[in-house]
Amino acid sequence: MNPPPLRRWLATPAFRALLALAFVVAIGCAFNAGGAFFHWSTHRDMLRQVSVYGILACGMTLVIISGGIDLSVGSIVGLCAVLFARETLHEGQPALAALGLVLAAGAAIGLASGTLVARFRLQPFVATLAMMVFARGLAKWVSGGQKISQAIQHPDGSFSYVDLPAIFQRLDHRILGGNLSVVTLVFLGCVLLSWLVLEKLRYGRYIYATGGNEEAARLSGVPVARTKLLAYGLSGLFGAVGGICQAVQEQQGDPEAGSTYELTAIAIAVIGGNNLMGGRGGIGLTLLGALTIGTLEKILSINAVGESSRLMLTGAIIVAAVLLQRRRAG
Amino acid sequence: MNKAIPALLALAAFSITGAQAAPKHGGRWIIGMSQCNLGEPWRVQMNADIRKAAEAHPEMGLIFKDAQNDTLRQRAQIEEFIDADVDLLIVSPKEAAPLTPPVAAAFRKGIPVVVLDRKVLGDDFTQFIGADNRRIGKAAGEWAVRRLLSIPEVKAGRRARIVELTGLMTSTPGQDRLAGFHAALQGRPVDIVFSADTQWLEPRAREEMESALAVNPLIDLVYAHNDPAAHGAYLAARAAGRERDIIFVGIDGLPQEGQVYVRQGVLEASFEYPTGGREAVDSALRILRGEAVPKQVTLNSRFFTRDNVAGGGEWLP
Repeated sequence: MNPPPLRRWLATPAFRALLALAFVVAIGCAFNAGGAFFHWSTHRDMLRQVSVYGILACGMTLVIISGGIDLSVGSIVGLCAVLFARETLHEGQPALAALGLVLAAGAAIGLASGTLVARFRLQPFVATLAMMVFARGLAKWVSGGQKISQAIQHPDGSFSYVDLPAIFQRLDHRILGGNLSVVTLVFLGCVLLSWLVLEKLRYGRYIYATGGNEEAARLSGVPVARTKLLAYGLSGLFGAVGGICQAVQEQQGDPEAGSTYELTAIAIAVIGGNNLMGGRGGIGLTLLGALTIGTLEKILSINAVGESSRLMLTGAIIVAAVLLQRRRAG
Repeated sequence: MNKAIPALLALAAFSITGAQAAPKHGGRWIIGMSQCNLGEPWRVQMNADIRKAAEAHPEMGLIFKDAQNDTLRQRAQIEEFIDADVDLLIVSPKEAAPLTPPVAAAFRKGIPVVVLDRKVLGDDFTQFIGADNRRIGKAAGEWAVRRLLSIPEVKAGRRARIVELTGLMTSTPGQDRLAGFHAALQGRPVDIVFSADTQWLEPRAREEMESALAVNPLIDLVYAHNDPAAHGAYLAARAAGRERDIIFVGIDGLPQEGQVYVRQGVLEASFEYPTGGREAVDSALRILRGEAVPKQVTLNSRFFTRDNVAGGGEWLP
C-alpha cells in the first residue's frame, strides 16, 4: 500500500530541509530590520557570505555520506589562501598557474587524509584532526606567520607595494547586473560538481554504499579504499577552492583564515538533513542547509543582535529547525 | 658565617632591583620571551620588533616561545624559562590572574621580568610596558568628530552617523577602545547607528558592514577597533558602491597593514597601538646592566593620515 505521492513527498528529507529554511525565512519576515530583509541585496550578500562555508560543506557532504568526517578543511582554507596570495602577489605567477598549484595542493592534502583513513585505517576523526593541525602549521610556515598582502617587506624593514592582480577583482566581483557574487557562482559550481559525482558517476553509488555498510560494499566488489580516497581528495580540492575564494575576498592570504570553518561546514550538512552516520543524504540537502544557516546569520546581523544573544539564538534556532524536521518525518 | 649574611642580603637586594653581576650563560645574556599568541599580526610584529632591536646587541641571546593562546601553556613556558635560569624574562601575558604566579615566581627567584602589553596582578615584576587603549580610542573619537564636522551638511546641523565595528567585546582592548571613543563623542552631534562585534576578524567585519549598509542608507564614518576590520568594512562598502561616501578609521597602524591601507586611501586614519618590542629590549639592557628602571611605562602612539603617513605619522597630542 503506497501512500499518495503528496504524502510521500512531504516525508522526504528535501521537504523537511525546506521546512527548516521556511521556518528561518518566517523569522526573517517578522524581524525584517526596517524592510532590509525584503531587499535582494541583503540576500545577495548573504549568499556571498555563505559561499566559502558552502563550498567546504560540499566536500564535507561527500565525506559524510562515505561514512567519514573531514576536520581539516578549515586549515586547508588557511593554507590555500596563503599559497594563492604568495603565488599571485609576491611571486607574480600568472593566475592560471597559481590556481592550478593551489588546487593541486588542496587535493594533495585531502588525498593524504584519505590515505591515512583508507590505507592505514586511522579513524577519520583522528586522521583529519591531525591533518587540521598539520595544515595550519604548514600555512603559518609558508607565510612566515604573517598575512600575505600587497605590502612586501624587505630585509631592511622597508616596504614596497604590488598591485592587486586582475584575478582578485574577477573573483570578488558581481555579475548579472550586480545581483550575484562570483564566489556564489563558484559555490553553485561546487554543488553541481558534487551532484554529478554523487548522482551520475558510478563512484557516487560507491560513496553511498561505502558509508551505508562498508563490509557489504567490499564484499559486493566496491573499491572501498579508492572511494574514500576520492571523497577526501575532493574535500581537499573544495577546501582549496574555498581558500582561493577567501583570499580574493580579503585581498590577502591570512594564515589564520578558515579557523573553525569545518564546524560550520558540518553544521550546514547536518541542518540540511544529511546523516552523520553516513550512507544517506545528498548535496541538495547541503544547499538547503547553507541557505538556512546563511539566512539565520543574516537576520541576526541586520537586526544588530548582540553577540551573547546571537550565539544563544543560533543554538536555539538550529535545534528548533532540526526538531521541526524530525516532527514532520514522524 | 657573619660574612655570609651581608652577602646574602646584598644578593637579595640585587634580586629585587633585578641587577646582576654578569651573564650566567658563557658571556651572553639569555633572554626568554614568552608570547601568548602568534596568531595575530600585531603580536607577530611585537616579536619582530624585539628581534630587530636585539640584533644591535650581539651580547643578547633571545629565546621565543609561543603559547598559542593557551594560558596554561604560557604558564608552563614561563616555568621552563625559570628552570633554564634565563637572565631576563619578557612576558606578554594572555591574561592577568593565572599568569601572575609564574611571573612572580621568576621575579622572586631573581630573574627580572618585563611585562608587555597586558598586565599581571600585584607588584612582583620589574617593569610593565604598555599603551593606553582608552587614550587611543579617545584620540580616534576626537579625530572622528573633527573630521565629521568638516562635512558641510553636518556643519549645517545634520547629526553625523557612525558605524562602530568592535573587537571582541569580552577582551579589555575592545572595551577600552569602545569606552575611549564614546567618551570623545559625548555631547557631540554624532550618533552610532550600528554596532557589531567582529571579534577582531576581517571576514566578520565585512559581513557586519554589509548588514549596516543594508539597514542604513546614510553612513558617514566607520570606526573599527582594528585595521583588518576597517579594511573588511571598506570592501563591503566598495561592493555596494558606497565606499566614497564613507570615512574609514581603524586602530593598530602596523607598517604592513594599517599604514598601507592609509597609503592606499582605503582608510583615512589609523591609530597606532605600539607593540613596545623595541622599548622592552632597551629596558632589558638597562636592567641587565644594573640600572634602575621605572615600574611602569606608558607608550605614546602615533596616528597616520593620508597627509602624514609618508613622513612616519604624528604623535598623539
